[in-house]
Amino acid sequence: MNEREKNASIAYILSQSPLKPRPARARAAGMLRAIGLRYIFWDTGYSLFFAAVTLAAVTALFLAAPGEYRYSAAVAVAPLLFLLTSAFAETSERADGLYELKQTCRYTIRQIAALRVLCYSVAGAAFTAVVAAAGAKDGYEFISLFPLCLSALFACAALSLAAMRFLRGKWGGAAFLAAWAFVSAALPFSLGERWETLLGGTPAAISAVIAVTGAAALAVQLSKMLSEADKYAAA
Amino acid sequence: MLLLNNVTKKYGKFTALEDITLEFSGGVYALLAPNGAGKTTLIKMLTTLIFPTKGEILWNGDGITGLDAAYRDLLGYLPQDFGYYKNHSPRDFLLYMSAVKCLGRDTAKRRTDELLETVGLSDVRDKKMRKFSGGMIQRVGIAQAMLNDPKILILDEPTAGLDPKERVRFRNLISSLSKDRIVILSTHIVSDIETIANSVIMFKDHKLFVNDAPAAICRTLAGKIYESDGAVPPGSLVLTERQEGGRTVTRFACESGCPAEARQAEPNLEDVFLTVFRDGQDDCLGVA
Repeated sequence: MNEREKNASIAYILSQSPLKPRPARARAAGMLRAIGLRYIFWDTGYSLFFAAVTLAAVTALFLAAPGEYRYSAAVAVAPLLFLLTSAFAETSERADGLYELKQTCRYTIRQIAALRVLCYSVAGAAFTAVVAAAGAKDGYEFISLFPLCLSALFACAALSLAAMRFLRGKWGGAAFLAAWAFVSAALPFSLGERWETLLGGTPAAISAVIAVTGAAALAVQLSKMLSEADKYAAA
Repeated sequence: MLLLNNVTKKYGKFTALEDITLEFSGGVYALLAPNGAGKTTLIKMLTTLIFPTKGEILWNGDGITGLDAAYRDLLGYLPQDFGYYKNHSPRDFLLYMSAVKCLGRDTAKRRTDELLETVGLSDVRDKKMRKFSGGMIQRVGIAQAMLNDPKILILDEPTAGLDPKERVRFRNLISSLSKDRIVILSTHIVSDIETIANSVIMFKDHKLFVNDAPAAICRTLAGKIYESDGAVPPGSLVLTERQEGGRTVTRFACESGCPAEARQAEPNLEDVFLTVFRDGQDDCLGVA
């Protein structure tokens, strides 16, 4: 029996067993209960502070952006709360010398990072609503802009988790932040009005479908990060 | 029992460890080899930080990767570069690590206070760690490794950078913590392990070279270690030199033909280490 057949047999036996592996949702809830929010965000104060300062500066720029580019500006700014908080936290976690140690604990640092991402996504969604409300002229435009902003947020979150899973160096989080910021800036600057027209002309229903797909991709990434210990070596 | 079965670790084309088979069943095991020999690679595999390219690591017959959190529950680990939170007290830090190790709140408080007592840091338990000495930080490190009362305690170069007094203190601490558990200690400082290790594991050329009790390893050089304040015979291996009564006494390993004025000495682990890991010479002394 080769390794593949052995794993398939084990998976089959487990699927027939009354003791099935816990789904990621239950794992996340269990972790939240056991660790508590205080320790999930323990010693992330500096990174959150720098994220808040950067975000305040970018938000000020967004509010000063010309009205004819409000879709482009809103979509670029919407994922920033999530992006800055998660990238700063991950980079500082990697640099503080405890990353490997925390990877050997019952709840690994990657699982804790996944929980943080979940919390940042919830905060990011709230921030997105504020950005969409500030960028929209009226209620109709809000309905069209909000799902677009959510799509950007969830796409950013899902890709950021994928980067966290596969980039092993200290600067993986920061590299993703830089890449996303470059692409978000490059699109409106290079395409100009065409980008604004494309975003403004996207029907709300299509934006909503993209947002839901993004949320599903984020859920898949979160689930993988919470449960697949054997795929991600830290060193 | 922790078992490594024909474990190989490669990084691209570079082989860090090749075909290692080892069994750990209880007591202190010392990994003794020069820097770059593969000690840290082995430790990272044992702590699931990296995975073998070939072979398997089993705990009581089950693969450690599959055991996942159940295996990590058995593990206490002090890494080589132990980072710590400068702005927190050791008590806060240990309570945080207890939460990550999933200890209940009451257990966490009790274990934290017990361990701070054990490592002699009770009087500074609420002081920020930024002013702690290297030895004190290492003691915080061993305390966090012991929080979950691990069955497997893994210490990577725990005495590097410590002054002699702290090193002795740390050795005694490790010795006292080694009952009913596997302690795997990596070091290149021979004196750290001579007295406390039940078994010494040496790697050479990224392969397992020897795994035996210190006394048995030393016996491989019995009758081959000499000391002399005169000339050292050609072909012998100079190990150490020391000053004694204004004369330079040379300790050397010699297979045969030693001068009559040289006196035979009891081989120690340092002799073995220097003989095995000498630069650019083949082993002519039959160690291991």
